[in-house]
Amino acid sequence: MDFGQFISYIASGTVYTVGVTLVALPSGLLIGTILALLYVYGGKAAARVMNLYSTVFRGIPPLVLLFILYFAVTKGINLSAFWAGSLSLGIVSSAYQMEIVRGALLSVSGDQLMAARAIGLSRLQAIRYVVLPQAVRLAIPPWSNEAAIVIKDSSLVYALGVPEILRRAQLIGASSQRYLLAYLSAAVIYFLLVFGTTRLLAMLEKKLTIPSNP
Amino acid sequence: MKKYFLLVVALVLVASMLVGCSSEPKSVLDKINEAKKVVVGTSADYPPYEFLDEAGNKTGFDIDLMTEIAKRMGVELEWVDMPFDSLVAAVDSGKLDMSISCFNYDEERDKTVDFSTAYYTTEDAFVVNSTFTGSVVKPEDVANYKVGVQSGTVQDSWLTDNLVTPGLLPEANLSRYERVDQAALDLANGRIEVLMADYVPVQALVAQNPDLTVVYHGELSTGPINIVLPDGDTALKTEVDRIIKELQDEGFIDQLAVKYFSE
Repeated sequence: MDFGQFISYIASGTVYTVGVTLVALPSGLLIGTILALLYVYGGKAAARVMNLYSTVFRGIPPLVLLFILYFAVTKGINLSAFWAGSLSLGIVSSAYQMEIVRGALLSVSGDQLMAARAIGLSRLQAIRYVVLPQAVRLAIPPWSNEAAIVIKDSSLVYALGVPEILRRAQLIGASSQRYLLAYLSAAVIYFLLVFGTTRLLAMLEKKLTIPSNP
Repeated sequence: MKKYFLLVVALVLVASMLVGCSSEPKSVLDKINEAKKVVVGTSADYPPYEFLDEAGNKTGFDIDLMTEIAKRMGVELEWVDMPFDSLVAAVDSGKLDMSISCFNYDEERDKTVDFSTAYYTTEDAFVVNSTFTGSVVKPEDVANYKVGVQSGTVQDSWLTDNLVTPGLLPEANLSRYERVDQAALDLANGRIEVLMADYVPVQALVAQNPDLTVVYHGELSTGPINIVLPDGDTALKTEVDRIIKELQDEGFIDQLAVKYFSE
């Protein structure tokens, strides 16, 4: 097997790595944002429930949740390894993303909400047009951190046999006995994925910066 | 009265659901024959039992054997690759119909899954690198050195039960690795002094790393290797055992051993 075949075998796992990330990260963002809005604006009872959600899912290692979902919960249902993996990463990520969005929402001062209400906006409008646009900008830097973590955590689905980058590196490393090269190739591919993503998000952050609010 | 009636109906419903769940479990063999397909798990990172060839396809002793077994069952074979640690759980939870991955019989594993009759018998080996100056005459001698092993394997159990638990080998001197090759790298680098592993893959390892030598081999922890089957499924076990017996009688398995282990 020549070097090109070797690398391309490992690199073809990128499809799964990107696939898992593209399920986990947006679903985590959607759930996380909804929960964060409920946490901050939903009253005391909602805040307590959201706090519990965040504590529980930030307290469970993603790999443990992945095994529970694949081997225990879906004993009867035929959830594939890919979906069990993507969903558990999405659930864990949603707890972190909820905290990111909550922090961003809280850092927009409450006075602004009051001022918006004073000029006649409804509570929902004030959140939608005044708080959220600012919060989104504040959330991008910590969110790009979370994106990098989810890309790298996607390697955990190897434990269920999803042929992503890490599992492929192991397999080809075993058959060729060139482990160092295999793991180094995997490391380079992961680095490029994370580097590209964080650069894109940095550009987005720059593009969205409000000039008067550096 | 109406309240009680509803309660009784509810209880009957719940009871019938429970009965429905615990009714005669269908043999996985029926499922396999209905689907005309057997789903088999393996961890394709353990040459020469299961590994990838030049083209990236699964090959090896276990792979060829299972291919023949499926052929004789008259069904298609679907491989699922999974890390070794996950295979027993996957058979137990019904994600796989069976698993072949150089499994040794193990009491702990036997609690959750069943084993087919043995299709081959293996030995253990102790490996050292070229800078090793100690001596291993009998297996217990390795307790004087830093030892490495693949975690969760029968070798791990042997070291733990025979050396660590009686206090011969300090826990700190036993390094458990997720994979044998990681242990072999550390052996070459001098982080561990002795590696304990299955003798057949060790021969392949030694052939590729001139620095490594086998100082002892024999039947310690390992021995017969079996196919892992769903718990209590006698119909499937009978069928698989019958085919294994057939292949042993025909000399098919000995031919495979020559092909992959060059004995």
